[in-house]
Amino acid sequence: MRKTTFLILAGGVIIAGLAWIILTPVLFPFAQSSDEAVAAHPGFKAPDFSLETPAGDIVSLSDYSGQPVLVFLWASWCPICKGTMPNLETVYQDYTDQGFEILAVDMAFQDTLSTAIDYFETEGYSYTMLIDRDGQMAQDYQMHGLPTSILVGPDGTVLDVTIGSGMSAGYLSVQLDQIFTSREGE
Amino acid sequence: MFPIIDIGPLAFQAGGMILIISLLIGLWLTVRFSASLGTNGDAIENNLLIGLMIGIIGARLGYLIQNPSVVADNPLSIVSFTPTMLDKPFGLLAGILAIIITSQRSHLPLWPTLDTMSPLAVLLFAGVHLANFANGNNYGLPTTLPWGVPLWNAIRHPVQIYALILAVVLLIWLLVRTRLLKFTYSHHSGLILLHTVAGLALITVLTRALVADKAPFLGLDLIQVIAWLILLASLILIFNVQYGKKKPTRIFLSLGSNRNPREQTYKASQDIAKFAKILNRSSLYETADVRPNHAGETYINRVLEVETDLSFPDLKERTKAIESTHGREPGDKDDVPMDIDILTYGSQVFVLPSGTAIPRTGLTEHRYVAMPLAEIAPDFRHPATGIAIKDILKQLDEQKQPVRKITEVENGT
Repeated sequence: MRKTTFLILAGGVIIAGLAWIILTPVLFPFAQSSDEAVAAHPGFKAPDFSLETPAGDIVSLSDYSGQPVLVFLWASWCPICKGTMPNLETVYQDYTDQGFEILAVDMAFQDTLSTAIDYFETEGYSYTMLIDRDGQMAQDYQMHGLPTSILVGPDGTVLDVTIGSGMSAGYLSVQLDQIFTSREGE
Repeated sequence: MFPIIDIGPLAFQAGGMILIISLLIGLWLTVRFSASLGTNGDAIENNLLIGLMIGIIGARLGYLIQNPSVVADNPLSIVSFTPTMLDKPFGLLAGILAIIITSQRSHLPLWPTLDTMSPLAVLLFAGVHLANFANGNNYGLPTTLPWGVPLWNAIRHPVQIYALILAVVLLIWLLVRTRLLKFTYSHHSGLILLHTVAGLALITVLTRALVADKAPFLGLDLIQVIAWLILLASLILIFNVQYGKKKPTRIFLSLGSNRNPREQTYKASQDIAKFAKILNRSSLYETADVRPNHAGETYINRVLEVETDLSFPDLKERTKAIESTHGREPGDKDDVPMDIDILTYGSQVFVLPSGTAIPRTGLTEHRYVAMPLAEIAPDFRHPATGIAIKDILKQLDEQKQPVRKITEVENGT
C-alpha cells in the first residue's frame, strides 16, 4: 500500500470512529421505559412477587421496600441449596436487626412440597420460606439453575445474582456491610 | 437461553465453558502459528498459562484485600467458586505482569511473540462476547428489528452477536492472509498483531454504540473512547513500522563456497562491502563434503555481520547478483562457487509464501553456520525464539558435523 493511501484510509477510520463515538449518545439514547427496567439482572428493578408461606400467609417482595432482601431460589432435592442454607442462617442472625430479610422460595412446581417444608422446619431456619406453586415467579426471575441468589437493595434494585454455591456467608456479609455503611453515610 | 452445566458441587454457567473453550482453541491456533513462524511455542504457551493462573489468583487476592472480613468470617472462602469474588482489573494486571516477567526471563522477543498470539487475541475477544450473550451480560438496546432477542424484559439488539460476527470476519481475514497460519504477509514483525488489535478496537468502537449498559464518561461511553485510543495507537505504530524513517539494519550473512573457496569468499566479502558496511567477519571454517562421490572436496564458510539501509528484497537481489557474477548456476548442487544466505534481518521474523524464512532455518541446523556466528557474536540470541547461540550450538552434534576453524596462519589474511 502506498504511504498516501494508508494515511487517507487510516485517517478516515480514525475520524469516522470519533464521529461515531460522539454521535452515539445522540443516535442511541439510553432511556429505559419503566416497563423495561424490571428484570432479575444487576442494575434492574427486581420483579415483584406475592407468594404463600407454609402457614398460608401471603408475602410480597414489595413488603420489604427500604430493606435489603436476599431472594433465594431452592428445592429440597438440590444438595448445593441445602449446603448454602445454613450459611444464610448465620448471616441472617447477624444482620436481621438492621433490617435484612431472606425470602427462601421453594420451587414447589418441581419439588415435593411436604419434603421441602419438613426439611425447612427440621433445620429450624428462622428466615421466611415461600412457595412458588405454578413456577410464575421462577419464570419472572429467568431461573435456570439452583440455587439462584438474588440480592435486592433497599431501593428494590438487583445488586447481585449468584448461581450455584457462590453465595457464601463471607460474600453475602461483604455486600450487606457495603449497603449498611453507605446508608449510615447518607 | 442460559444453559447451565452441573458437575458435582460446581455449577458452571455456559458462559464459563465458552470462555474455556475459546481459550483452548486460541492456544491451539497460537501453537500452530508458532510452529510456522519458528517462534518458541512451548515457552509462549507456558507463559500464557502461568499468566492465566496468576491472573485468577491475583483477582481473588485483589478482592480479599479489599474485603478482608470475608477471610475472617470463613477462611475457606479464599478458594470458593464465586466468580463475583474476583477483582477483574487487579487480576488482569497481575496476569499481564506475570506474562511480561516470564517472557523476559525466557528471553522471548516482543514483536514475533505478539504476532504469534494474534489468533488467541481474536478467539478470546469472540469468546468473551459469546459468553456475555450466554450470561445476558453487556445486553443491547431495545429494538424493533426482526432479529432482536428477548432479554431482560425487552426485545433487544443481540449486540454481543454483532461483535462475535465481526470477530469471526477478522479471524477469517487473518486465516486468509496467513494462508491458514502458515506465513506472515510482510517483512515486518509486529504487523500481524497490530492489524489484529486495530481490528478488534474498531469492532468495539462500532458495537458499543448499541450496548445498553454504557460506562458514562463526559457524556460519552468510556469503553468506546478507550477502544478508539487503542485504534489510534495501533494505526500510528503500523505507520511507523511500514513507512517510518529507516534506520540501518544489522544483518548476519553466511558465505559458503566449494570452488576456489578461499579466493571466492574473499572476493564476495569485497563485493558485499560495496553496499553494506561490514562490522565483523568471522574466521574461515572448513567442512568436508560428506556426499559419497565428493570425497576430498571441502566447503569453506564464513559469517559476516553487516549494516545496511537496504530493504530485505533489495538486499536479497544484491546477494543473488553476487552469486551469479561468481558463476553460481541456480539449482547446481555440486558446483557452488558462491552461496550467500541472509541469516537474519535485524530483529525481524517472517516466513513468506515465496519460501523465504527469516531467520534462516540453517542457523539452527548447521554447525558451519552457528560456529562462525558464535565467534563474532557470542551474545547473539535467535530473533524468533530468543535462544542463545551457545545453546543452539550445544544442540548440534559435533561428531556428525565436523567443522574445522582455519587458523590465521593457514588463512594467510
